[in-house]
Amino acid sequence: MRIVKIREDNCIFCHLCEVACIVEHSQSKDIIKAFKREERPIARCTVEFNYPISLSIMCRHCDDAPCIEACQNGSMHRDERGYVVVNPQTCVGCWMCIMACPYGVIKRDTRREKWGLSTKCDLCPDRVIPACVEACPNEALTFEEL
Amino acid sequence: MKIVIVGNSVAAVNAIEAIRDRDKISSITVVSDENYRAYSHPLLPNLVIGEVSRSEERFYYRRTGFYEDNKIKTILGKKVTKLDVQGKLVELDNGEKLEYDKLLLACGGKPVKPPIDGFDLKGVHTLTNIKSADKLRRDLKNISHCVVVGGGLIGSKVAEKLAKKGIKVTLVELMRRVLFPVLDDIGADYIHKELKRLGITLVLNDSVSALDGDERVGQVILKSGKKIDADGVVVAVGVAPNIDLAKDANLDVDRGVVVNDFMQTSNENVYAAGDVAQAYDIVMGLKRPIPILPLAARQGRIAGLNMLGAGVKYKGGFPMNSITIGQTSFISAGIVDSEELEVLSIKKGNEYRKFLVDEDNKLKGMILVNNVEKAGMFNWMIQNRFDVSWIKDAFLNSDFGWKYFNKAFRVLRLDRKIK
Amino acid sequence: MKWMKNLKTYVPPSFVVERDDYRCIRCKACVEQCSFDATFYDEDEDRVWAWNANCVGCNRCAAICPTDAITVRRADPTYRYNHNWNGHVDSLKKRAIFGGTPVVSMGNDKPYPIYWDHMLLNASQVTNPSIDPLREPMELKTFLGRKPDSISVSDDGLKTKLAPQLELDIPIMFAAMSYGALSYNVIEALGRAAKEMGTYYNSGEGGLNKDHYKFKGNIIVQVASGRFGVHKDYLDVGSAIEIKIGQGAKPGIGGHLPGEKVSETISETRMMPKGSDALSPAPHHDVYSIEDLRQLIYALKEATEYKKPVAVKIACVHNVAAIASGIARAGADIIVLDGFKGGTGASPQVIRDNIGLPLEVSLAVVDERLRQEGIRQYVSIVASGGIRNSMDVVKAIALGADAVYIGTAALIAIGCTMCQQCHTGKCAWGISTQDPHLSKRVNPDIASKRLINLLEVWALEIKETMGAMGINSIESLRGNRLNLRGVGLNEKELEILGILPAGE
Ligand SMILES: Cc1cc2nc3c(=O)[nH]c(=O)nc-3n(C[C@H](O)[C@H](O)[C@H](O)COP(=O)(O)OP(=O)(O)OC[C@H]3O[C@@H](n4cnc5c(N)ncnc54)[C@H](O)[C@@H]3O)c2cc1C
Ligand code: SF4
Ligand code: SF4
Ligand code: SF4
Ligand code: SF4
Ligand code: SF4
Repeated sequence: MRIVKIREDNCIFCHLCEVACIVEHSQSKDIIKAFKREERPIARCTVEFNYPISLSIMCRHCDDAPCIEACQNGSMHRDERGYVVVNPQTCVGCWMCIMACPYGVIKRDTRREKWGLSTKCDLCPDRVIPACVEACPNEALTFEEL
Repeated sequence: MKIVIVGNSVAAVNAIEAIRDRDKISSITVVSDENYRAYSHPLLPNLVIGEVSRSEERFYYRRTGFYEDNKIKTILGKKVTKLDVQGKLVELDNGEKLEYDKLLLACGGKPVKPPIDGFDLKGVHTLTNIKSADKLRRDLKNISHCVVVGGGLIGSKVAEKLAKKGIKVTLVELMRRVLFPVLDDIGADYIHKELKRLGITLVLNDSVSALDGDERVGQVILKSGKKIDADGVVVAVGVAPNIDLAKDANLDVDRGVVVNDFMQTSNENVYAAGDVAQAYDIVMGLKRPIPILPLAARQGRIAGLNMLGAGVKYKGGFPMNSITIGQTSFISAGIVDSEELEVLSIKKGNEYRKFLVDEDNKLKGMILVNNVEKAGMFNWMIQNRFDVSWIKDAFLNSDFGWKYFNKAFRVLRLDRKIK
Repeated sequence: MKWMKNLKTYVPPSFVVERDDYRCIRCKACVEQCSFDATFYDEDEDRVWAWNANCVGCNRCAAICPTDAITVRRADPTYRYNHNWNGHVDSLKKRAIFGGTPVVSMGNDKPYPIYWDHMLLNASQVTNPSIDPLREPMELKTFLGRKPDSISVSDDGLKTKLAPQLELDIPIMFAAMSYGALSYNVIEALGRAAKEMGTYYNSGEGGLNKDHYKFKGNIIVQVASGRFGVHKDYLDVGSAIEIKIGQGAKPGIGGHLPGEKVSETISETRMMPKGSDALSPAPHHDVYSIEDLRQLIYALKEATEYKKPVAVKIACVHNVAAIASGIARAGADIIVLDGFKGGTGASPQVIRDNIGLPLEVSLAVVDERLRQEGIRQYVSIVASGGIRNSMDVVKAIALGADAVYIGTAALIAIGCTMCQQCHTGKCAWGISTQDPHLSKRVNPDIASKRLINLLEVWALEIKETMGAMGINSIESLRGNRLNLRGVGLNEKELEILGILPAGE
């Protein structure tokens, strides 16, 4: 199964992966509108920096996915492609997946009225090459069999 | 092969999924005294106040069609009353007998009933399943002041929900803080504040000695002598494993049904998983029941695999909880309060971080309040007995993350070369 | 407040960074990428601003901005028009304010004539056939080194013993740019590209990192006046050894690598203390005459058992022809001529901008002089300093070069925008820096691919023009000045270049 391989030696801390992820998960998929007109999605990848280290981290789509195991109502599940994704219709924001994810890559979206929403990389279901991979200017992210 | 599963919840479902992943042929029969498909227990407090209803998909543990898709025979609304390990069969309350080659006890726990008078009065509730939740929900119209007995996970949560519904709530907790086993004093203080902000009266260091009333409860009498007028009581002082079946069948039982590393009971054809089981705790180094959902899932999966002879080992678990009360979310795991362990902690406003490390530099427990996103990384360290000597200094940084790890290790982990 | 303008140190900015605020999404990529502190984010205003005075015009921000919100413009000074003084006012002020002579990098940027652009190539029509390089074989293979006066052949093959030769699949090599001036990743990319393309990368005067010994077979090692990192293993790794006497961007002066660029690994490679300035003296203190040079050449040949050609690199200066003749006679196998437009990692501005000789002229006079003296076969000539495109290569070879070195062109291929800040160590494109955070910006995979692309395209273009001229081997182009015609040149210039005017 192909996932996003992180090549930290090439990461230049530009955050464009985050920008691309936000745009990809926005309503319009238009960079300006996504940032200025619509409710901005949360980036599924996170760029970390500790001079001179920088790297972007997102879900590793574990074979044994502890997040799925910990989810209280099956919202965290494996989709038809085999990737681990959240069902926003059922997620109740209990953060049990966060508690279990050994990579710390799930984020909390607390902007919904009633239920929190666990937000994580869905490996861009509408794309062939994930948005972050395509956007990275230095090939610090590649889409590969891991 | 004939597989029978007693109970139809987290452990059962995960066992089914594990079995069906490898074996599409064996017959699987699930028996439960509850007449519903598997649902989410943690949502019961929400169900009580109508935040979620039984017609909503999010209330259930798996989507509709789960049992048909996996070719499961379900016998719902029937209780297993007897286990005959010699005859390899179980007996149901309607007299029906089911033969098995492999049996999984996934029958969870039941609420602990404190030895006090008046427990049977009207208006006195527990909350561990749909039935009890429904009963409490229907009774809400009769309740204006509710005493919640027990400030544990369920007690705190139900207190929060009832208060949100506009009911006057008093929470009585035996220890000096709520959520005693999963938070320390500083951490619990955040929750105390949240509960108070919701208008809940906290009574700590005290417990209930009797419930008073004619037909319906009218007064709660505390050990300290204090009396609280109340027309509703929720007793949430813990759950105890449903060991009766196993015990009667002379299986090895302690507080729960004792299992080995393969989730196997003292009878080779009988497995146990979830809240009913007493399995290895990797932090305490002994076997004890840990009634939490993620472990029920993991144990269920491992039991399922091992019933097929896969020989997968359960490496042990430890308690971990993720709780949100009001505006405060926290995640804690393992040992959260200790005199013996090295403690690293920092409190900065909204955020509280605490880590407990033993003399071998193994992480034994942690508390994260509000900044919880990286909790799983710490739980990984606890689970894998990771040597934290070189990185523990970074634990207290709010921005703790992969950037603090040694590069070679980080690359191997992120490339999924080390699990 | 990070910075405030102060009249005491005020020099008008050279660039203006314009940001279309509607398009700016505050991603702050530009802020992070600007290594010159010219861009910052103001949290209170939620706006991205520029300190124009700090901007060096590297265009990194404009390149990274995902919404194309940024335009970097040259700031035209608005002083009253003065043909004599405009362009000198600010540089004079800088000296007066800061009290030092400005150090600059890259090559001479003054509007001196560019002779390449005054020469046109020939093509075959009717009377001699042109060749299609895609159908017919075309030979770019080049051997650098001393050629015999004559050869004898027997049935077993060549009887004459040949001096050691450098074999190039394409007559273009990467010029000396040291590890220290350039980042590790750039060296890695140059090495990989040289290997892939069958050519050479010159280590420069900074020694060679052990990791890069893997490029053995595609490396020319340099020995300069500072002798940094020169030892037995280093000489062994080189396929040839180049003695650097001078450099086109700074003839007559030594090298200077600022201490900020002398990192841990640089200090190891150069065999000198970390953080101290790496100064190479102006002359080699053991070379004060052609005789001394001969001793050094033979010392190096001796040390490498006469298995490797030895090159001598000089800056093109007024009597370059006589010097070249001396070098050829001193026993060098290759002479490298570095024209006054050659690049540098750091040079005093006055030197870079005012000293030297154009490469085109130097090439012509050196080739002519060596031919006249009958010693042209003693040496190969490598032309370097300001080769910008494949046609400069063709013209250089027609003027008499055997091969060329490219430096700046290679850096541009991997991102350089010639902002001339190499000496600051802050290169925003990660090329001329030792800051590990900045040097990551060059991904050797991408950079080597681009270098390979560049050389492949140039090779094809060279073949195309050779084909047009009806030539199928680069050998036949060498010194073939009949294929050049001058335009817009005076008689004297034409005479020196040894070419006919257009129309003759
Ligand atoms: C209100 C509430 C909130 C909770 N919140 C959390 C939380 O936030 N986080 C967390 O980790 N955990 C939480 N838990 C615990 C979690 O729900 C349990 O760990 C999990 O449900 C255990 O699953 P199980 O399959 O082992 O057993 P259970 O879920 O207890 O299911 C056992 C099933 O077996 C049936 N059964 C029992 N005996 C028999 C018999 N003899 N014959 C037939 N059927 C039988 C029962 O009726 C029941 O349906 C909560 C529990 C409750 C009640
Ligand atoms: S969210 Fe975490 S646990 Fe779940 S698949 Fe991704 S990396 Fe694994
Ligand atoms: S793969 Fe898609 S969803 Fe995942 S981090 Fe990249 S852009 Fe975001
Ligand atoms: S886009 Fe690429 S280089 Fe930029 S921060 Fe993300 S991973 Fe790093
Ligand atoms: S990145 Fe370069 S061009 Fe942009 S503001 Fe900074 S110095 Fe100027
Ligand atoms: S990179 Fe472009 S969009 Fe991003 S902050 Fe800079 S100007 Fe704005």
